[in-house]
Amino acid sequence: MLDGIFTGLSTAVMPFNLLMVVVGCFAGTFIGMLPGLGPISAVALMIPITYGLDPSSGIILMAGVYYGAVFGGSTSSILINAPGCASTVVTAFDGYPLAQQNQAGKALALAAYSSFTGGTVGALALLFAAPALAKVSLSFQSTDYFALMILGLTAVAAFSGKGQVLKALLMTVFGLMIATVGTDTTSGATRFTFGSIDLIDGVSFLLLAMATFALTEVVMTVLKGEHREEEEQVDMSKLGSMKLSKEEIKEVAPTIGRSSVFGFLVGVLPGAGATIASFLAYGLERNLASAKEKLKFGKGSLRGLAAPESANNAASTGSFVPLLTLGIPGSGTTAIMLGALIAYGIQPGPRLFLDHPDVFWSVIISMYFGNLVLLILNLPLIPYISKLLVIPRPILIPMILFFSITGVYLVSFNTFDIQMMVVITVIAIFLKLLEFPMAPMLLGYILGGLMETNLSRALVISDGSLAFLWERPLTLAIISIAVIVLVVPPLLDLLRNRNRTRGAEVAVNEGEG
Amino acid sequence: MIITKDHIGGMGFLLLSAFYGFYAGDIPLLPGDEFEPFHARTVPYALAILGGLISLALLLTAERKAEKRLRLNNYDFALVAKLLVLIVIFGLALEWIGFLLATVLFLIAGFWLLGERRIKMLLMVSVPFAVGIWFILAKLLDIYLAPGQLFVQLFGG
Repeated sequence: MLDGIFTGLSTAVMPFNLLMVVVGCFAGTFIGMLPGLGPISAVALMIPITYGLDPSSGIILMAGVYYGAVFGGSTSSILINAPGCASTVVTAFDGYPLAQQNQAGKALALAAYSSFTGGTVGALALLFAAPALAKVSLSFQSTDYFALMILGLTAVAAFSGKGQVLKALLMTVFGLMIATVGTDTTSGATRFTFGSIDLIDGVSFLLLAMATFALTEVVMTVLKGEHREEEEQVDMSKLGSMKLSKEEIKEVAPTIGRSSVFGFLVGVLPGAGATIASFLAYGLERNLASAKEKLKFGKGSLRGLAAPESANNAASTGSFVPLLTLGIPGSGTTAIMLGALIAYGIQPGPRLFLDHPDVFWSVIISMYFGNLVLLILNLPLIPYISKLLVIPRPILIPMILFFSITGVYLVSFNTFDIQMMVVITVIAIFLKLLEFPMAPMLLGYILGGLMETNLSRALVISDGSLAFLWERPLTLAIISIAVIVLVVPPLLDLLRNRNRTRGAEVAVNEGEG
Repeated sequence: MIITKDHIGGMGFLLLSAFYGFYAGDIPLLPGDEFEPFHARTVPYALAILGGLISLALLLTAERKAEKRLRLNNYDFALVAKLLVLIVIFGLALEWIGFLLATVLFLIAGFWLLGERRIKMLLMVSVPFAVGIWFILAKLLDIYLAPGQLFVQLFGG
């Protein structure tokens, strides 16, 4: 393992890769600060750039952007109460009240320290957890992989929120359907191309990711009329001191520790990710607080700010564990990175650790560098970076549109792709208006091809019988977890509702009696 | 009867699954494939059935609440449509008038559509931006950007 760490370290400290971390963090912070654009859009916008780099540098750049975007999201949450992404919504609960009390500097610093600790704890845990898990997963067979992918897809659906499970499942199936368009890898038959030459290679990953996450997100802000809103001017003279007192550090230290470990564990679960981690950590912290402390939550509590910030960063790191070891992304952002790795010809999974140790370790090490960059460079520069938010929306939006379109065009040099992006964007807008989540679709699309290959292998080995699903204990165990993850939460909901209605009936009867 | 977002979505996906399943029958098979446990139609058929079942489940379980209705009043569809048409035109223009000119025109039109009317601002932002990007791509990264068809035909390649 030590060998690996050194390989990773030597790759990560190469000047060019260090530059990528810095550039990534800055670009990410800026994109993350723009309301409506979160880490997924930021990472998607980077894909075309990474195509020109070698795999380690590309992934390092994306990891930097990911971190930067999460950090940028917290900054706009605190300064203007406009979370850039879902995982920093909770940050605004206590961060914005602090800013209103002229303590924005303190809130930003605390957010940066919490993120840093969360990221550090996450990176250390990843350092030990990933190789251990990768070793175990080396014994996996095609049936286990098939089962794991089913687990990954169902978990994403199951964690997508109340009343959203069926919709998320439908979107997953939709993604799997899109993955079947084009030439079938095993038989060479063309599927669903309707005679078009442009569809023979299928829908490209880059095109789908850019259309659904970059183009659609920007167009949605126009659709909602948000481009007309004047950005709230932040008065930098009111930032206040960035220093925390000793008592304040003592107060938040246990919170940060707890939330970091908790966030990492949530992040490791496929499908859960940073948003859920931040909400859960905030809830946990509020329950642990004394009655007096509890009143402060939502009005500028330091603990209420530290908890979600450390948890979301630790979870962002945690979501790399299933990506690097099993090849199954834990969130939308890691799904995009998986797609990018596959485009490089690198198959994430247990073999990654053996075949490409430089990629594996340099990603882990550079994540830590990313945290350092955010703390040392980004924090002092926040007043300047936030000036960029002053660029008027009518100027900014066409530029982002331009980047997303040319990003796709410059890879294929086929204008058909641009028209295709528009079609996908129109579909995505309607799906968003109907409240269908987008991430499961991308996940389904990315895992679709691999899933079909593993299923075909498993079916051919077992001569067409589906018995492989329950004959191998490991496969059975994974499938069972997938079923439990999918079935138990709705059942619990149903039971709770029934109890509630029964309780209400009893109350009504008593009232009548 | 209240028709909610879930009903519309469920119905849409049900139709999609039916359409997808129907066209899955058109996938060419290799001779003898029909006796194999796995062929090019296996996954598409499975997906069509799965999609159909889940959409039915969504249709049956959708709550009929008034607040879940699809409301389209507060959205600026006209502007979005104009922007999307602009993107399509940009795609065509790339082939005909080349990268540089197409980019400048796309940006000016985009700024204009979103409400920027100052001519000086339109030109001051779009031209340096487009030239900068063109310079990075064509000169620094050495990416070949084809000249527009129009100029090739008018003045010869």
